[in-house]
Formats: sequence, structure tokens, C-alpha cells
Amino acid sequence: MDTAVSLTDITKRFDDVVANDEVDMRVERGAVHALLGENGAGKTTLMNVLYGLYRPTAGEVYVDGDRAEFDSPQDAIAAGVGMIHQHFMLVEPMTVRENIALGWEPVTHGGLKTDDARIDTEVRELSERYGLGLAGDLDTPVEQLSMGARQRVEVLKALYRGADVFIFDEPTAVLTPQEVEELFDIFSQLTAQDKTIIFITHKLGEALTAADGITVLRDGERVGTVDAAGTTREQLAELMVGREVLLDVDRAARGASGDDTRLSVSDLAVTDDRGEPAVHGVDISVRGGEIVGIAGVDGNGQEPLVEAVTGVRDADAGTVRFDGEAVTGLSRRERLDRGLAHVPGDRQEQALVMGFNLVQNAVLGSQHRPPFGRRGRIDWGAAREHAEAVIEEYDVRPPNPDLPARSLSGGNQQKFVVGRELSREPDVVVAAHPTRGVDIGSKEFIHERLLAMREQGAAVLVVSASLDEVVQLSDRIAVMYEGSFVDVVPGDAATEEQLGLLMAGEQPDEPVPTGAGR
Amino acid sequence: MSRALPEGLRRTLRRFAGLSAVERVLVSGAAVVVALLVGAVMLLGSGYVASCREPALFLAGTSFCFDPVAVYAAMYQGAFGTPVNQALTLQRMTLLIFTGLAFAIPYRAGLFNIGAQGQFVLAALATTVSLLALGPLVSGPVATAVLVPVGLLAGAVVGGLYGLLPGVLKTRYGTNEVISTLLLNFIATGVAVVIVKRAFNNPEIQGTVTRSIPEAATLQPWLFPPGTRFSVPVLAATLLLVGGFWWLLNRTTLGYDIRVLGRQQAAAVFGGVDDDRVTVLSMVIAGAVAGLGGGLYVMMVVGRWQVGLPALGFDGIAVSVLAGNNPVGLVPAGLLFGALQSGGLAINFQLGIPRELVDVLRGLVILLVATPELFRIVGRRLQRQGRLRPAGGESG
Amino acid sequence: MSATATARRWVFAGALVLAVLAALRLVVPAGSVPGRMLASVLDVGYASSVLRLTVPIAFAALGGIFAERAGVINIGIEGFLIVSALTTVIVARRLPWAGVTGPAALWLAFLVGVLVSVAVAAVFAVLVVRYRSNQVIAGLAVWLIALGLAPFITLTLFDSSSPTIDTFGTWSVPLLSELPVVGPVLFDASPTVYMLLVATPLAWYALRYTRLGRRIRACGENPKALATGGVSVSRVRYAGVLISGVLAGVGGAGFTVGQVGTFVAVGQTSINGRGFLGIVAYLFGNYNPFAAVGGAMLFAGFDSLQLRLQQIGALDIPAELFGILPFVVVLVTITLVRRTRVPAALGEPYEGEE
Repeated sequence: MDTAVSLTDITKRFDDVVANDEVDMRVERGAVHALLGENGAGKTTLMNVLYGLYRPTAGEVYVDGDRAEFDSPQDAIAAGVGMIHQHFMLVEPMTVRENIALGWEPVTHGGLKTDDARIDTEVRELSERYGLGLAGDLDTPVEQLSMGARQRVEVLKALYRGADVFIFDEPTAVLTPQEVEELFDIFSQLTAQDKTIIFITHKLGEALTAADGITVLRDGERVGTVDAAGTTREQLAELMVGREVLLDVDRAARGASGDDTRLSVSDLAVTDDRGEPAVHGVDISVRGGEIVGIAGVDGNGQEPLVEAVTGVRDADAGTVRFDGEAVTGLSRRERLDRGLAHVPGDRQEQALVMGFNLVQNAVLGSQHRPPFGRRGRIDWGAAREHAEAVIEEYDVRPPNPDLPARSLSGGNQQKFVVGRELSREPDVVVAAHPTRGVDIGSKEFIHERLLAMREQGAAVLVVSASLDEVVQLSDRIAVMYEGSFVDVVPGDAATEEQLGLLMAGEQPDEPVPTGAGR
Repeated sequence: MSRALPEGLRRTLRRFAGLSAVERVLVSGAAVVVALLVGAVMLLGSGYVASCREPALFLAGTSFCFDPVAVYAAMYQGAFGTPVNQALTLQRMTLLIFTGLAFAIPYRAGLFNIGAQGQFVLAALATTVSLLALGPLVSGPVATAVLVPVGLLAGAVVGGLYGLLPGVLKTRYGTNEVISTLLLNFIATGVAVVIVKRAFNNPEIQGTVTRSIPEAATLQPWLFPPGTRFSVPVLAATLLLVGGFWWLLNRTTLGYDIRVLGRQQAAAVFGGVDDDRVTVLSMVIAGAVAGLGGGLYVMMVVGRWQVGLPALGFDGIAVSVLAGNNPVGLVPAGLLFGALQSGGLAINFQLGIPRELVDVLRGLVILLVATPELFRIVGRRLQRQGRLRPAGGESG
Repeated sequence: MSATATARRWVFAGALVLAVLAALRLVVPAGSVPGRMLASVLDVGYASSVLRLTVPIAFAALGGIFAERAGVINIGIEGFLIVSALTTVIVARRLPWAGVTGPAALWLAFLVGVLVSVAVAAVFAVLVVRYRSNQVIAGLAVWLIALGLAPFITLTLFDSSSPTIDTFGTWSVPLLSELPVVGPVLFDASPTVYMLLVATPLAWYALRYTRLGRRIRACGENPKALATGGVSVSRVRYAGVLISGVLAGVGGAGFTVGQVGTFVAVGQTSINGRGFLGIVAYLFGNYNPFAAVGGAMLFAGFDSLQLRLQQIGALDIPAELFGILPFVVVLVTITLVRRTRVPAALGEPYEGEE
């Protein structure tokens, strides 16, 4: 086999931040290669270098053995490199045909008309050859397709442009398990015809299932390249996080939970932005002094669930109770007043006003409440003290409360948000991806703070895409699949295998002891 | 071209290239200067094309009808030269602050209120009608004390209601406020004319005009010559109102909610801001403020409702844009546009130059203010130039 | 989906118009025969005048569609109409001095009017695409500048309104113009009406089937997708705004030279909000050229009806009330029959290209 892609000593710096540090990677033609690492490990940056979106600070890129110096994705496409982004680059109201040919439209009648017949012939042929099954949908607007089908449109688009090397950025994040299966079938179809695939993932299982070779990145450095065959999950996990597997965290330190139920959710149903039912029949109760983790593949209803519990989104049916009081009919503000702290999944959209400085951001959500809001007025002095306190305690850098939130790095933004939210002295804490994008040290600190909330008797609900994090923190784990809980299991009885099966929607063969909330 | 700039100015520009608050002021100032320069070119051009008996300027053997320097001098005189002129400038400034606020407040909440004109027009009518109705019932010294607040209140209420409508349409039906307020402007004028024609037309005067409001409700000049239509206490109250709105935006929970909503809707929802309520409220406030302006226009300026009210509602957009949608900035911006308006009248009377020149200046100013990138690029270029020069002094 | 939404709007608006007309019975003076009066007004002449009045609004709407589908809010379209209308008058007045007369002068004036509109569009495009102006405010500024500049120039050169120039007159198509009803309406009309009849399906076709049209649509929805296809977002946006300038220019110049033959500099100028009506028309028509032109026709229909009813003295209500009806109809329709599908990336400067 010959080499399709080779990256040698790639370094990419953004000002002072080193995103990639002398990374080497080699992929054989016709192989599937996984680029594995935690969030922020530098995977996407590396692939953006290969795709011509960034020029490397140092190092060389070879495609088909030729030195490639891409100034733009167009150069990469011309060299046969295609990329399927996590957020699809599709024009939703336009048809499949229009999307596939966009920018590469053949024309007839002296340029007065796009040659749709030619597009169709070519696309049908490609769809047939690679088993993509879209031949009947050429006139369908993309917005009417499922996520899996949209991804196949993207694959067709890359094929149409003559790609031989396919980069997939977190391709499974938006897919159902069935669609993931189909995706891996597509991988086989492509490689069977000598196409090469690189896919970015942070999921160990996927890398082992779908890839031939795996390159692991950590903190911008390559820490290892292994063959999928003959590598265990534990070995991979150790490479990824750089120490013994987190599954063996000492749980003995945990005390018993209180008896009082502080947060309860019963028979909750929620609709998402597109009007589709996203959550249904969810029941869970969290006692004071307890952490309940929600595990699941992204996009199985975790976000709408969190939003409905915290009052960002209205529920269609069911009840949410804080300390026994039904809050379902209450506004977001009233829920905040009842002792809710909420770390949202999207800090830059929701949790911080990017153009405001940290003093102004320090009161977001408490602007109407003492000590900040008194009789309709805001006490900016108190706000400043508060901002400074959070910056100090959570080691937010740079420690300047007058800087706009925009100018902080993602990790520091997250530290500020967690600090602000947990300083409300909450009874109920709902945290979605609380450590996304933060460095290891801050991660442990945030975990400590969440555990401290638990010690202080708050009910804590944690959603995370990282199974490790859920397992590490939770007293009980609810596994979410297609909008409802498949099972709720005690944290210390769960194994990753069990949870993985549950997350794929399968009922466990031998039921684990069921938690109280189910 | 940029090489010719004095070193001091260059250094100033360079220093402020990255600062946002100061940059704003700088951009606004630069916009005004550039607009005046373009206006001068326009004057030269049209003065070259037009024919006149006594050319005002000879340059390079060509005669021009208009001398830009003289025109601007006349404008300045017309705006500030005499107490009467000053009164007109300050009168326009006062009214522009109201319609400017009507754009600025919703803008800070993320809304484009193009509808100040309609709010202004209907409120002016409401003020007139309420004063005409109440006038005969009160007399003597109490009359002013009753009529002035009632007239202003009527304007504010009707303006507020006319702002409420697009607010509710947006929150309940998702109707884009740019379109609804635009349509409501057309509707307001039509409705007002119909009402006046049907019910309040002054039979003694040709045209669509109401009778005059009672003398007691007219806001009298003070410190300024009699006959000028400007009232110092009104300006004082207006400045207080501006301070009040600054305080509202920067020191109160409602103001915080407005600003968060305007910057980032998702963050507002996260922060417990009731976005529907803030949307409706800021539109109502805007309408009420525009309505106060309409009431003042009647009580301070014309004394009745008549067809063809000035487009102060649209001018308010320009004023607010120049002010960076900041209440305090409305004061200098309002003064500038007020001076342009009175100066425009002066050049028309004295020099026969169409007063529409100032409308062009107004448009140019906001076009440039809407394009800060232009000045930023110039600033950056100067910065780069500075770096290349070893004597450039500051580094970084 | 969007086609049915547009259709629903039309049904709703049609019903509303009928209701209004029925309600007219209530305001027509007692003793008259409103039905017969209305019938006497709704004749071939009415249909022709509606088409004529539709032209400037419809071209403004078509122009707006091209800019907005490329992702650029174009509130300044009124300004494009004003400058082209004025330019056409000036050129038509001055050309005889240069020895050009007759139809040639008119056509030349028309052409220059369009070109000036395109030039203004080009400046606007550079500001919003290259320098990332706030599109709404820049558009308002274009309008305000035109609203000052046109009277300034008119007053400097002429008086409060320009002298009258010749107009195109009507062209009749042999044979076809003999057809009953359709003939005199569609085939004995001003050249600008023919231009509209051609431009509407052409615009629809261009957006749907040409390479540029598809790129324009993609550019307004998801410019990143277009950019990853190797197409420059800026260039497509320039194209969209320039096409918008051409169409609006045809509307403004055609209004002068195909219809009124003069330029009035008072108040809102002789364009008098037609550009804004165009914007409302395409929003009402959900960015579909045919539906937008239909919306323009709705405005023109009311306008013409009002003029005619006034002429025969059948209208006892003030003309202004009648004049605001189309605005009310449109406001109620876009409010109650929702789903105006605005291009997703409308108004967002594209950051990806330097």
C-alpha cells in the first residue's frame, strides 16, 4: 500500500497558543484512520491544516507523495482532499442536486442554464457506486432530510468534486446509532474503492470499531499511533488522557445523600426548535447531596431536557419540581430565584454576553436580585467585587474584570461561568458539559467544586458527552437515548460496557439494580 | 494622501485604532468632517454646472456659483449667529433628541424602530385634539398648569400605543418590526389626515389643518426673543430626560435587560430576561418618547396639526446613529443636526442654495458612521506606516 | 412548502381585498348604486393603468429580491429609484443640446439613468461587502442621501420640479393588440410594461436555473457552504447588489421616461415611497419574483382604483383612507399568514474572506 496523506512535524501556533506541536501522521491509501483525542487536543486544527484552512507554522503536508502547500480549501479540493464538517456546509432550502453541484455547476446553452441532466447522471452514478442511496432525492430540499442523509449529501458533494481523501470531523456527533452503523458501511464502500478516510473523534469505541489505524493527540502533541487491531480501550484511554483510566476513581470518599428530593422531573415532554418531539416521558428525581449524571450520545435530547428543567425552554407536558414546588409554569427568572444554578452547554451564546466585560457578566441571571439588584437598580460596586472574587477563586486569566468576555480563552470563560453559577448558593445545580474545553487542572478544580456543591446539600444534575466525567462524578447515572431514559443505574455499579450498550439504546441483558427515580 | 496628515493627528488616530468607545466618538467626528468635505465638493460641482449672474468663487480660471467656505460660514451664522437662529437650532435639537431616543432605546434592545415618524405624527394630532377639547373648559392661571401636562400626556400615550402595536405584533406574531413600523408610518399619516379632514378641519384655512391650540397651552420662549419657537425649560427638561435614559440603561435592571437582549438574545433568555416584555416595553417607551416630541412640536412650534409635518422621525434615526445610540451622545448629535437644519434654512434664504444640501450631509454622516471599518482601515494603514518609520516613537 | 405559504397569503389577501370592497358599500353615499359605479371603473383602462403603476414598484421588488437573496439587506432601493428617475430627466433634457433628439434621446436617457443607479449600487455594495457597513443603516443613508441630493440638483438646475420630457408612449403589437380585453391591456402598452412582463419570469428563471442564481441563493442562506465550494462570497454579493441596481434603475428611469415625464423634487419626490412598496411587495411575496410582482400589482390596483373613484366622484371617503388600505392589507396578511422565509444569512457581513 502507498501513502495517501502524510503530515510531518506540523506545528500550528495562534499567537502564544500552540495548537499543534510537531505532529506526525501517515495514512495509507484505502485505509480508515482515526484522529483521537479529547476536546481541545488539536485534532480539528490539524485537519484544518490538511484542508487548507490554516497554513502550518512549521511542517509539511504531502498528498499522494507530493508536497502540498494549500492556501485555501479550494487548493485542497483540487488535490483531492474533501472535508465533511461537523456542521454541514449545506444550504438547507436548496435541493440535494443544487447543493452537490454548488460552486461546480456545469452549464449548457452558452452558460444560461445549469446542466442539471449532467449533474444528475454523475451524481446517480456516484451514489450507486458508493451505495449512498440518494438518487431519488435529488429534488428534495436538504432541510427535509435526516442528519444521516445530509451527511451522505456531503459525502456525495466531496465525491462530485473528485475527492480521494475524506476528512470527517466528529461525524457521529449528530447521528443515531443506526446512522452510525450506516456511516461505517459507507466508510467500507469508500475504502473498497481506494478512497482514504480520516475521521476525528473523541470516542474510543468508534475509533476501535471503524478505523484501521489510530493517531492519538493530547494537548496538541501526538502521543501515539496504534493499530486498531490488538489495542484495548484501556490502552487507548490511557494514551488519550495521559494517566491511568479514570474508571477506577475512588468513590469511597462520597458520603450518603440526603433524604429530601430537591429536584424532581416527572413525565416530561419537550419539543425542539424544529418542532420535533425531543424528550418524552422523562422521570428523574435528585436528592439533596446527590449528583445524577446523564450519559448519552450527543443529540439524544439532553439539551432540550436541560433547557426545560432550567426554564430556558417550555415543556410540552410533565412537571419539574424544585424542593417539591412545581416550577413548570414559572419563568426562567422565577426559577433562578428559587436557587437554581445553570451551567449551559453553549457558554458563548448563552452564559456570557461576549461584548460585556466580566463585571457586567458577573450579574447575568442575578441582575434583579440583591446584592446586585435592589429596587430596580444595579449596584455595580457589588458586581465588581463579585467578579473579582470569582476571578480569584477560579483562577480566571487574565485576572482583569474590565476585559470583555470575548477576549478570554474558552477555558477561562468556562471557569468564570462555573464560578458565577456555583456562587449563587444554589439548591439545584444543572451543569451541561461543565468542563468542556478547559485544561486538565481546571477540570479537576471544577469537579471538586461540583462535589463540594453536593457536600453542601445541593441536588446536582450533570450532563456530559464525556462518559468518564459522568462516571467519575455521579451517584447515579441516567442513560438517555432518543429522548428518554433507557435506564438509571447506580454510579458505582456501572461499567463502561454496560453504559455504552445503554447509550446505543439496548436494554442490558442482566438488569443492573435500578435507581429510585426510574 | 495620508502622508500629508500632521504627525499629531496621525499619532492620535494610531493610538485609537483599537479602542472601541473612543473610537466611536472619533469615527463620528471623522464622519462629520468627511461629509462636510464631500458637501463642499458637491457645492463646487453644482456651482460649476448651474448658471448664475454673480459667481461667488473663481478657481483656476473657472467660475463657480457657490463658494463652499462662504456657504458653510453662512450655515454657521444661520445656526448660531443671532438669538433667533440659536432658538431655531435649539428647538430642532430638542425635538431631534426625542425622536433620536425613540430609535436609540429599541436599538439597544436589538430592535429597529423605523416608526418614530408615525408615532410622532399621530401623537401630535392627539396633543392637538386633547388641547382643543380641553381648552375651552379651563381658563386663567390654572389653564397652563392643566393644559401643558395633559397635552404632553396625550401625545405620550398615543405615541406609546402606536409603539405598542409593532411590539405586540413582533412578540405575538413574529412580524419583523422594520416592516411593520415602516407600514405603520404610511398608515399613521393617512389616518391622521382622514381624522383631521373628517372631524377637526379648520374651515377658515385652505388645506388640512386644525384650529390652533389655546394660547395657555403654548410653551413660551424664555431668555429668547418673543416670537421664537423655543422654550428653555423644555430643553432643560429634555436634558434631564436624556440623563434619565442614560441612568435607565446603565444603572437599572431594566436597562441591563435591554442591553443584554440587544446584544445576545440567547444570553438574555439565559439571564432570566423576559424578552417579550422587554421588547414590548422598549417599543412602548420609544413610541411615548416620539409622542412627547410630537406633542412638543405642536405646543412649542406650530400650535396646531397640519399636513406635511417635518420628517423629524426619520431624522431621529440619523441623530441616534451618529450618537452611537447612546442617550448622552444624542445631545451633541442633536445639536449638530439641529444646526444643520437651521443653517440649511439660512443658506436657502440668503444664498438661494437649496436647503436639501443638509439632507445630503445628514445621509453622508450616517453612511460613514455605519461604516467604521473604513476609518479603522485608514487608522491601521497609518499605524503600519508609523511602524515603518524608525522615528515613529511608540511601539505596539 | 414555501410555495403553499405564498399561495395561502394570496388567498388571504384576496379575501381581505374583497371584504374591503364589499365594505365600501357602507361608505358610498346613500342613493348611489355602488356596484354599478365600481363596475364602471373596473374596465380595460383600469387594468392598463394598474399595469403601468405596477412597473416601478415591481422593478424595485425584483431588485430587492436579488440583493437580499444574496444576503444583503437593501433598504436603500428607494434611493436607487430616485437617482435613476432624476438622471433620466436631466439627460433627456440636455441631450437635444447635443443634437440627439427623439426616441434615441429617450432611450439614451433611460440607459444613463440605469447606469447611475448601478453606480450607486456599486458604492453601496463596496461599503456593505468590503467595509461591512451596518446594512440597514447604510441603506437608510442611501435613501436619505438620494432624498437630499435629487431635490438639491433639481432645484439647482430647474425648479421645484423638472420640465416635462417626452415619454415612450405605447407600443402595440400587431394582431395581438386586436384581441378583446387582453389586447389593449397587454399588447398596447408602454415598453416598460413589456420589460416587466419579460423581467419577471426571467428573474424567476435566473434564480432557479442559472449558475449565478443558485450561487446568489446559497450566498444568502449559507455563505460558508458557498465559500467551501470555491466561490467568492464577496463577488456573488457584489453581483446581487449590482443586479439590484440594474432592476431598480429600470424601475426609476422607466417611471420617468415611460410614464410621468417629469421629476418632482418636493417632499418624498415623485418616487414617493415606491421603492419601499417594492420591499413590502417582495416580503409579502416571500422572495418569489412572481408573487412579489403580484404584491406590487396589489398596491397599484388600490392606487389606481382610488384615482378613478375620485375622478368620477364616487368616493366620499378621503383618498388618504383609501390610500392606506394596501398597507393595512399587507400588514394584516404578513402578520396573520406568517412564515416569511427570510434568507438565513441576511444582513450578516461575511467574515471568512479578507
